[in-house]
This record gives sequence, C-alpha cells and structure tokens, in this order.
Amino acid sequence: MSVQDVAVLSPRARRRRRIRRRLLRRPLAVAGLVVALVFVVVAIFAPVIAPYDPGRSDFSAPLAGPSAEHLFGTDELGRDIFSRVVWGARASIQAGVLSTLLAMAFAVPIGLVAGYYRGWLDPVVARMTDVMLAFPFLILAVGLAAVLGPSLTNATIALAFAAVPVLIRVTRGETLALREEDYVRAAVANGASDTTILARHILPNMAGTLIVQATVWIPTAIIGEALLSFLGLGVQPPTPSWGVMLSAAQPFIDQAPRLVIFPGLAIFLATLSFNLLGDGLRDVLDPRTQT
Amino acid sequence: MRAFLLRKTGAALIVVFLASIVVFAGTRALPGDPALVLAGEDRTPQALEEIRAKYRLNDPVPVQYASWLTHALTGDFGESRRAGIAVGTTILDRIPITLELAFLSIIVALILGIPAGVIAAVKRGSAADYASGTLALVGLSIPHFWLGLLLILVFAVKLRLLPASGYVPFFEDPVENLRRMAMPALVLGTGVSAIVMRQMRSAMLDSLGADYVRTARAKGLAERQVIIGHAMRNSLLTVVTVVGLQLGGLISGAVITEQIFVIPGFGRLTIEAVNQRDYALIQGVVFVAAAGYVIINLLVDALYSVLNPRIRVSGQPG
Repeated sequence: MSVQDVAVLSPRARRRRRIRRRLLRRPLAVAGLVVALVFVVVAIFAPVIAPYDPGRSDFSAPLAGPSAEHLFGTDELGRDIFSRVVWGARASIQAGVLSTLLAMAFAVPIGLVAGYYRGWLDPVVARMTDVMLAFPFLILAVGLAAVLGPSLTNATIALAFAAVPVLIRVTRGETLALREEDYVRAAVANGASDTTILARHILPNMAGTLIVQATVWIPTAIIGEALLSFLGLGVQPPTPSWGVMLSAAQPFIDQAPRLVIFPGLAIFLATLSFNLLGDGLRDVLDPRTQT
Repeated sequence: MRAFLLRKTGAALIVVFLASIVVFAGTRALPGDPALVLAGEDRTPQALEEIRAKYRLNDPVPVQYASWLTHALTGDFGESRRAGIAVGTTILDRIPITLELAFLSIIVALILGIPAGVIAAVKRGSAADYASGTLALVGLSIPHFWLGLLLILVFAVKLRLLPASGYVPFFEDPVENLRRMAMPALVLGTGVSAIVMRQMRSAMLDSLGADYVRTARAKGLAERQVIIGHAMRNSLLTVVTVVGLQLGGLISGAVITEQIFVIPGFGRLTIEAVNQRDYALIQGVVFVAAAGYVIINLLVDALYSVLNPRIRVSGQPG
C-alpha cells in the first residue's frame, strides 16, 4: 500500500491497520488465529471434508487401527473416527460461538444501561449477577438440562447463561469508566441523545475489551459443550460430538486408546488456539488487563 | 472490620435468599404435579395428600415458597426417589468426600503453581519463564476430563501403578484412600495450578519492583531472603483470593472428575440425580451448591480482610 493510500484512510481504519499489524507480529497469536480458523472452516464444510458418513458403521472392521482408508482408525461400531472428529467440530464451534453471541446479546445492553444510568437499576443488576454467579457453572447446566431436557441447543443456552453475569460486569465496568470521558461530555453538551451516546461513543470504545472477552469465553464454552455431552447432558448420540465420542470410548480405553486420544486432542487444540488468540488480542486491544 | 464483615454477610444472605427463589421457581417450572415430584417412589393417594399438606401445595405460591424454604433451611428437601432416603442426609453423606478431593486438589495446585510462578517472575524472560508460561497455557486449555482419561490410560492401564477408579474411605485405609485420590486430585489441581502460577508471577513482578523490596536489598539482605521474606509474602495475598475464586470452578470440576474416577461424592450425586430424574434431589443439590459457594466466598472475603488490613478501611477488596 502506497503512502497516498494510507493518507486517505479514516482514523478508525488506520487504527484497525495498526492493531492488525501489531497482532500479526505475535507468532503465537497468529498460530492461534490460523488453527482457530481451520476449526471454523472444518465445522462449516464438515460434509465436504469428512471422507465417510459419520454415522455409517462398517461392521467388518470395528476398532481398526489407523490406515490409508481410515486415517484415525474406526470405533467400536466400525465408524470412521476421522469423519466423526470432523463432524464433532460442528457441535463444538456451534456451542462455542453461538453461546458467546447469545450471552453478548443479553449482557451488553444490560451492562450498558446499568453502567450509564446508575440509579436504582445498577444495584438491582449487581444483585442479579451475584445470584447468577452463585450457581457453579456445571451445577447450573445440570439444573437447566434437568428442566429443559438434554440437547445441543439447551447446552448452548446453559453455556450462554453462565457467561451472561461475567459479561454484564465487564460491560458495566467499562461503561462506568467511559461515561466520564471528555468526548462523552462533549456529546452531552452538543445535545446528543442517550441512545446516540451509548451506540456511537461508548459501545465502539469498549469493542476491544468485548472482543477479548468473547475470544476468552469461546474456549471455555467449547470445553463446556464437550463436558456436558460427555455427561449425557448435551449432544445426544448418535450425533457426533467430541464429548459423546470420549464418553463412548471409556470402556475401550485399554483396547483402543486412540478412541480416547483423537477427540480429546481435537478439544485441546481448539481451546488452545482460541486461548492463544485471546492472549494475543488482549495484549493488543486491552493492555490494561494483562496477566 | 466488623462493619465490613457484617455488610458482606448481609449481601451473601440476600444472594442465598434470591438463589433459593430461583431454585424454587426452577422446580415449579417442571411439567407435572410437584407433589408427584416430591413424593418419590411412594405415590399412593394418601402419601400424595400428606405431601400436599406438609409442603402446603394447595396454598398460594408465596405460601408454598415460604414452606419450602423453612423446610430447606432445616435440611429437609423432601424424599429422594431412592426409597425413603431423605435428600438432606444423602447430600450430607457425600459432601466430606468432595471436600477431601477439593482440599487435595488445592494442595496440588499450590505445590505446582507457587514455585513455578516465583521462578518465572524472578528469572523473567528466561527459558524457565517461557516453559512455565507454556505449561500454564496448556493447563488452562486441556479439558480436565480428557486429562483424567489420559492419566487412567498411562497410570492404570499401561503402567498398572494406580487403580483406575473407585473410592475407599480415609479412616478405613488412609494409604489406599490417597492412592485412589491421587489421579483425581492431580486432574482437578492442574487447572487451578495454571491460574495460581499466572497470578503468582504477575504479583511477584509487581512486588519485586516495589520500594520495600529495593529497601530490603539496600540494607544488604540476602537475595533469597528478599524474595521469600518480602516479595513472596506479599504476593501470597493475591493467591488467596484467586484460590478462593476458583472454588466454584472446583465444585464444577468435581462433578466431572468424580464421574470419571467413580468417586461417590457430591458431584457424582448431582449426575445420579439428573440421570434418575430425581427432582427433589436435584433441587437440594443445586441449592446446597449455590449456598455453599456463596458461604465459601464469604469466608474467603473474611480471610482476605484479616490478611490485608488495607481493605478494612476502604471496604473494597483488591
């Protein structure tokens, strides 16, 4: 890009370029980004990538070892493990991404309003988040699964539910700090409406923090989905999911350890990639909360 | 100090009270007659009538709630579906097992996390720093239950060193008890140790740059003494809070760890309750978990205010 091209970019676009360049200078974050994208692509194109139907049993070759035909071997019902791991990415990415978006959709407006208007609303919201945080995540998920019934959708709702109080607190805290900024006062003096101030001035300025929070929550939700499915409270067999695969593999752990290793490795790599990306994004976007 | 603790206790009581409403509303959201839910196996018409009278199920909802709460506070959550065993007793029987697991896990987390964090901070930028940072990241990303399965694969299936699962009470056979608790505690402890390590490292970096550390060095104290006696002592404060905040995660972690290693604790009870659709038990388990978690947090706050006199004045932790 030439000097002139840069000159015509708006300040916001220039800022975005700077952030992108700073992120790309971190090899671990880039590796995380690439692997995370691979998982997303695999999840979207699972039917194209998987060589076999994940539910098709080949009874002539149960528990077969890795071969050219079956890259990761077959499971106890002769199903292709590689195809099942590929399809399992769908449930994981769906639970991870959708639960985060769902939680954001609830938490961000509540946090914004509570932090901006304060008044009686603020302590009410604070108590509400305290109560939600009082239920340990898995206990909450178990309770919800008991009331709603076990399924991927309900597991996603439970995961979103667990993220909401955390995100409300973050959004509220950011709003409290941002509403004291000079540009917000200037907007108030100019007669901007509250909606304009929240949407145009406060929300864009906490976007970095929210993106970091989302990236950090996705791996937690991926593990959460695997956990719930493992316990029989999430994805129901025969639908392939990494948690379901691990649960089914338990009795065969001494005969075919790869049944345990491949799905677990998939969960581990998916969470590790999002965690690496999250750490990198935090360094670039939200330097205050470095750990 | 007393005002601070009173305020915290008040807030905790309000949260427990609100949580009880959530649990109560949750069970009422279930389809079907709550009397059937609470009656367990014994579903004769007379038994159902008794339940209705005892829990005031024919009265308005607020009266029902008040009755439920007074019963719950005395530990009476109704009858479990498993013939005639009270939910309260079942829960009480299981809690000590989970407490032992949690205690051992925290010890594992501290033994792994504190030295790693201190070394990483003191030798900042060295190979040791990067190694422990990488391990912490792995510890945070690895799913506990998969780590548990891998440990079973290595130590029980391949090496045959430890039993894969099962539980022996501590007072029956302490050695066997610890042998069986070793893998679960390691699984549950590693995740927490990663967090302890990260916190310890950043707290140590802060205190190593502080004035009192420079003073200690200036007056000629040995480096060892500066690190252990001055920098580390102050950094341990943050670790107390961090460990406290992880206790909720430990309750969740215990659910899955106990499931994998077949330990009959509170966590396994939770899953049993859901699998058997034992609603009275689910309700009791969820409420006890929430109340227990709030109380633990209150104790952590209290401990923190004892350890750190500054917050007694400002009233704000941290």
